[in-house]
Amino acid sequence: MSKEIIIKEEKGKVESRVWQFLCSVKLAVIIILVLAVACILGTVIVQQLTPEEYVARYGEGLTKFFIATQLTDIFHSYWFALLLLFLCVNLGSCTVKRWRNTVLQIGFILTHVSIILIMIGCFIDLQLGEKGGVNVYEGRSVDYYLTRGDYQKVPLDFEIHLDDFIIEKHPPKYRLIAYVKDKDSQTPLTVKVGKTYNIKDSNYSVTVKDFYPDAEYSQKPINISSDPVNPAIYVQMFGSEEITAEGWLFAKGLNWYNDPDHNMRVEYFWVDNDRDFEKLTTIVEKGSPPKLGLELEDRGIKLDIPIEVGTVFEVEGTEYKVEIKEFALDYMNRTKPLQEQEMSNPAVMVDITGPQGVDSRWSFSKYPDYWDQAHQTKYKDIRVTCNVPDDFTLTSNKIRIIQNQDKEKVIAYIEGGELKKIVNWEVGKRSEVGGSGYQLRIAKFFPSYSVENEVIKKSDTVNNPALRIEIAGPRGTVDDWILGQTPAKWYPDNNFALLYEKFGMEIKDFKSKLRVVDNGKTVLSKTIEVNDPLKYDGYVFYQSSYDPEGGLYSGLQVAKNPGIIVVYTGFIILCVGVVFIFYVKPFLRRKSKKKER
Amino acid sequence: MDFMLNITFYAFIFGVIAYVIREVSRSVATRYIALGVMSGALILNTTLVLMRWFEAGHAPMSDKFESFVFFAWSIALVYIIMELVTIFIVRIHSSRLGIIGALQCALSALFLYFAINTDSTIKELPPALQSNWLVTHVINYFISYAALSISFSAAIIYLIYRAIFHGKTQEVVMSKDNSNLGKDMTFDKLAYISVSIGFPFLTIGLITGSIWAKGAWGTYWGWDPKEIWSLINWLIYLTYLHLPLILPKTKISKSFRPVLLSIILLVAFPTVIFTFMGLHKLPTAGTSDHIYAD
Repeated sequence: MSKEIIIKEEKGKVESRVWQFLCSVKLAVIIILVLAVACILGTVIVQQLTPEEYVARYGEGLTKFFIATQLTDIFHSYWFALLLLFLCVNLGSCTVKRWRNTVLQIGFILTHVSIILIMIGCFIDLQLGEKGGVNVYEGRSVDYYLTRGDYQKVPLDFEIHLDDFIIEKHPPKYRLIAYVKDKDSQTPLTVKVGKTYNIKDSNYSVTVKDFYPDAEYSQKPINISSDPVNPAIYVQMFGSEEITAEGWLFAKGLNWYNDPDHNMRVEYFWVDNDRDFEKLTTIVEKGSPPKLGLELEDRGIKLDIPIEVGTVFEVEGTEYKVEIKEFALDYMNRTKPLQEQEMSNPAVMVDITGPQGVDSRWSFSKYPDYWDQAHQTKYKDIRVTCNVPDDFTLTSNKIRIIQNQDKEKVIAYIEGGELKKIVNWEVGKRSEVGGSGYQLRIAKFFPSYSVENEVIKKSDTVNNPALRIEIAGPRGTVDDWILGQTPAKWYPDNNFALLYEKFGMEIKDFKSKLRVVDNGKTVLSKTIEVNDPLKYDGYVFYQSSYDPEGGLYSGLQVAKNPGIIVVYTGFIILCVGVVFIFYVKPFLRRKSKKKER
Repeated sequence: MDFMLNITFYAFIFGVIAYVIREVSRSVATRYIALGVMSGALILNTTLVLMRWFEAGHAPMSDKFESFVFFAWSIALVYIIMELVTIFIVRIHSSRLGIIGALQCALSALFLYFAINTDSTIKELPPALQSNWLVTHVINYFISYAALSISFSAAIIYLIYRAIFHGKTQEVVMSKDNSNLGKDMTFDKLAYISVSIGFPFLTIGLITGSIWAKGAWGTYWGWDPKEIWSLINWLIYLTYLHLPLILPKTKISKSFRPVLLSIILLVAFPTVIFTFMGLHKLPTAGTSDHIYAD
């Protein structure tokens, strides 16, 4: 009898000791601290990598230790779950033990119960919840999603149609950044016209002098000297009254213009001696025609035949017969009449007939070996070339604008290969050519033509903005334009630069117009966006990503959280609880103390 | 804006000086002058926040610059509310909050200094931040951080006093003034009060963050480094709040207990600051949805 009592008492003591331990604050504090340490570890050790990645990062030994202790995935490890379970048990027993039906205890009960509730809710979600994602293409639908982690297909009882996917963008934004090289410092500057910024810890200052919301470079012709370094004229050609063509001609560059409408070629010459001037104003040399070159290196045969479509000839000493089939000045536009083609890519086509049949080839004046390299040719020993002289023209009428060291200025009109008329010209004055009613005017003459990059305003909406900036520094003042997304503008000492760059979010929002179809019927439509999901049948569809390439599909996150009500209840109770403990209880206590007094 | 920012910064520096003078002279006049200076700085800071709100077109708490300015504002606001309460309602002894005021002003100035050195260009809100939860979540957190910063300052002062007076704190500090002004509160108690003011906000901040994450990303808890560190902060202050319950049952001497609690606060607040602005230094930062840039 007495023995039994003793055993029972001891049992009771042991039980009570366990119970005491379970509901002690000490255990709570220990668990909380261990949780905190686990959390810290979980952010210091990169989680969920492959064993190889761990070895590369932390070495063989540590990796083994991490894997053995599940430190590679702390938040899904057994010991972490056990820890949370302990916490729940501790909280539960603690709450039971200290439960008093008094007003002052409300906060204590609410907060402790709420945390148990939150953890129960999380557990329900973990066990019964579903989580995954799916990409839907615009105009299509899905009836499944892929689970997170292992991408298993999970069927849905309904279809989600993506009727429209919208990406909204912000207007582009630019910022001005000042960079000092020897300090390696970057300072963003607010763009305000008229404002001067002294760059910190340096001798530079920047003044924003002008702003164009949308600008572009345009080349403005300028004359840089009165010496004839690069003589150029601006010629305008008139039909009856209106200008039919106008442009610059350069004595030392592109000095001609073909006017197919009037069967006219305009040329510009600047000569520095009287002999050349004499020659140009009196002699009309016939331009050499384009030629077809044929070369048979093995047999030492080299032929030059003027190109005339339809010419057929036999190559002497061989069994080849060659026919010129086609000729073009602009291969791409070879179907146009030859007169209307610009001389941009002259080419000739020939048929070479030999023992193995006909071999048709195009030969390009600018790319003589292209055809042979790109095609299989039958007669590899024959090389065909197309030689078109630069001054080749189909037009028989020419206007020569000739200038002689600024002394004499004449226009020579050549018709049908004969010099017809010579008139003097002056800048700004119209001159009639021949009796054709065709007039031209040399509007400008620059002895030393050059171009200046000029920034011009394109529009008033921000697109590609430009700033006129004045930089003052140790090497004086520099005044220039700086355009968005162009390379940094360096100050002459190469120690200071300004960069005008695009920044910030380009994507404002992305939205999916979703439609839920259940049993063939549309039951719900909603346009979802980040922070505004669609809910149906216990599932929630979140806007999470999109096709970064073309915005063709929408990335949806799919979640089913049956425990969320419990979790949110816990959240609300926890909030009420803490506010009660720290904001209500102290006042209640003071009141009751005053009453006691 | 830059000019206003600098002025506000100097106003807080001026506040530091004012509170130090108050601490030295301990006269009623200096008490109100110091409070006045800090209130002035708060008004300037409020203007900054409102100007930014107007300019940016969204609540000014989305990027580094905005949160620095807003944090400086919350620190000043919470301290001033606390001081007003101690003057007019709770009537804590006048020797108490003074030196903490100097530290809070310094803290506000520090964050404004960070703001001055941060890119202040207005950025567009990424889709995830375009939510009403932004304001609720962030304000809760900053109010809580501000209150917790007071506990940090109080813990520092407590430890300094302990070091200087070797445990005779209360006597030394009390002997200096006429104790009929109000009830005496030692700095460790002040620290506890500040934590209890800040902790509910910390909790609500954590919960609103979780609810927001659910709406934006579909999970209320995703073990994201920012989430984990917010939890760590919460757990540390939770420990601090539970410790007084068990310390009497341990062998730790009664006089050492407040030192231990103060040391915990000394560690806790830097972890809060780490959560706020240091997480990009973590090796796991790349996996976070919260950390946009350094």
